[in-house]
Amino acid sequence: MKLVTFFHDEQERIGAIDSSGNVVDLINAYASYLRKVEKAAAPIRLATATLGGDMVEFLKHGDQAMDAARVAIKHAAGDSGGDNVIERQRVRLMAPVPRPGALVSAGKNFSDHVAEMSSKKGPVAPVAFLKLPGSVIGPEDDIPHPPEVKNLDYEVELAVIIGKPCVDVGADEALNYVAGYASFNDISARDIIRGENKNGIHLMGKSFPGFAPMGPYLVTADEISEPQNLKLWLRVNGELRQDSNLGYMIFKIRDMIAYWSQMGLNPGDVLTTGTPRGVAAGRKPDQVPWWLKPGDLVEAEVEGLGCLRNRVVAEK
Amino acid sequence: MRIYLGLLESSLPDQTRIFGELDGQLVDLQIACAAYLTQADNKQANAYELASYYFPNTIAGFLEWGEPSLKLLDQIMSFVNKSGVRQLRGPGGEKLAYDSTEVRVLPPLQNPEKSFVIGFSDRARTEALPPAEIPTGYYKLPQTFVTTGAPVIWPKFSEDVDADGCIAIVIGKAGKRIPPEKAWEHVAGAMLIVDITARDINKREGLTTNNLLGKNFPSSTCIAPALLIGKDKKDLLALEVELSLDGSVKQKFALRDCVFTVEQIIARWSILGIKPGDWLAIGASMARQGDRLQNPMPLKIGSTIRCAAPAIGELSHQVIAAGGMRR
Repeated sequence: MKLVTFFHDEQERIGAIDSSGNVVDLINAYASYLRKVEKAAAPIRLATATLGGDMVEFLKHGDQAMDAARVAIKHAAGDSGGDNVIERQRVRLMAPVPRPGALVSAGKNFSDHVAEMSSKKGPVAPVAFLKLPGSVIGPEDDIPHPPEVKNLDYEVELAVIIGKPCVDVGADEALNYVAGYASFNDISARDIIRGENKNGIHLMGKSFPGFAPMGPYLVTADEISEPQNLKLWLRVNGELRQDSNLGYMIFKIRDMIAYWSQMGLNPGDVLTTGTPRGVAAGRKPDQVPWWLKPGDLVEAEVEGLGCLRNRVVAEK
Repeated sequence: MRIYLGLLESSLPDQTRIFGELDGQLVDLQIACAAYLTQADNKQANAYELASYYFPNTIAGFLEWGEPSLKLLDQIMSFVNKSGVRQLRGPGGEKLAYDSTEVRVLPPLQNPEKSFVIGFSDRARTEALPPAEIPTGYYKLPQTFVTTGAPVIWPKFSEDVDADGCIAIVIGKAGKRIPPEKAWEHVAGAMLIVDITARDINKREGLTTNNLLGKNFPSSTCIAPALLIGKDKKDLLALEVELSLDGSVKQKFALRDCVFTVEQIIARWSILGIKPGDWLAIGASMARQGDRLQNPMPLKIGSTIRCAAPAIGELSHQVIAAGGMRR
């Protein structure tokens, strides 16, 4: 399934992209199934209780909600009336998980990126930092360029969305805890981070509003047989800047989940993989700078997960 | 005044209520507000609706209404006082005052967007290290929050865990890029926090300038149940905090001892935008009685951590081994 969060009629809703690219409203479609097939009373309330009101709740409801979503999509394919299916152009897609519980982003996790950032050696344990969940934006939102920032950078990554409570799990079983995957762009203010790093901690430089574009949809884990071999790339104004494969990760997806499960992960938490080489910060001083500026179009994509396209605009 | 967030014994998890405090009783402010509106303000018809508007199920929601709701809170509490806290009932005869044992108190702010601890803010540390230029901070995940009485669970992955007392400045008014001279207008009050750190992990993470596992694990953010509101700048700066371990004082400080001012901190972090219920905690390790760097006092399994500020209240936690109890 391609799961989405979308905005329609002044409401945030959960949905799925159907075979013709339109949006199935999961609660409406499941309620329609409950009313017509199961003859259930108060079907909207039952559908909401089953699926949850937003994506994090949906993920917390686990297999029961996933199964109901499949029923809803199948039902809507034969019964697209009412508000069961909405044309793609009539909704605004948000990030599939607009408010993750925790957003854990790996750093220094591709050897070619470690080299371009002039780090002496790779890390001994997985390196990650928290981005503020409030910095997440969707595929139709702009990336605000804050006036304080001079060196705005991009980083294409894979977002791994956790689907089950996960504490101290081993790497071999780690993928069982994944609900799905999405394209992700870890926007970074390099000059702010440099200032913060003098104190040995950075937070602001990764967490301005809009610094975490995600989407356009969450592809459920059952459709991705081996996430570790996906290609990923990023273009700025059509020019290819990053072009790599998740196979080059230092700590693999399974290792990351196992390691960060030590802090306790919950459904709706998101881990991102770190980025390969090709970021603006890796440019040599004698080259034309690649820093993002207002007007730039950034396209980040992980193979099979859809293109995440955002325009950079000056923050008002 | 101190306000609390809590659940009654029969409440569902999302039915949190805001409580005031009078004569050792916790007063359900939604019911008390309905009683006040009915009896003192002659608003019988929609008293319950108005009461749940002014006193929603989160303190952040209450703070959003700003000055008018603080004034209403004062009027309600003096009405409750005049009527007798043990006698007064809601418009439909509902109970509104509880012994503290009848209410399960929670961390006052359950899901702030910004819950930061400002690091490198202590004078003791600046004597040992070059002073920090900017008030950097780290983020404490809401899933790590516990309140007084909960055990602090020793993280399996660490051999060196310690505790730091902090005062959190709680935001009451939204703003972005707030100039220092306007910073205090955005402050609603203060909370008491103990920041638990897995120091060995934290040191290793510091080498790669991240700060995650060492600061974020279950029960690593202990927050006292009271939110102190309605105090001015002078009172808040003078709040004395004392952290003790098994009865011996480890840290003692006031907000005014911080190397960064509240003005500087709000000016810096409001660049990202701040809103009611966000908090910025200050103080970790401002030890007058032995700097942690020179005289570390790590926790042990079985240690009792106590952190108190008379105006806010206190936190008391016992350290237990992982696996001993699951939340």
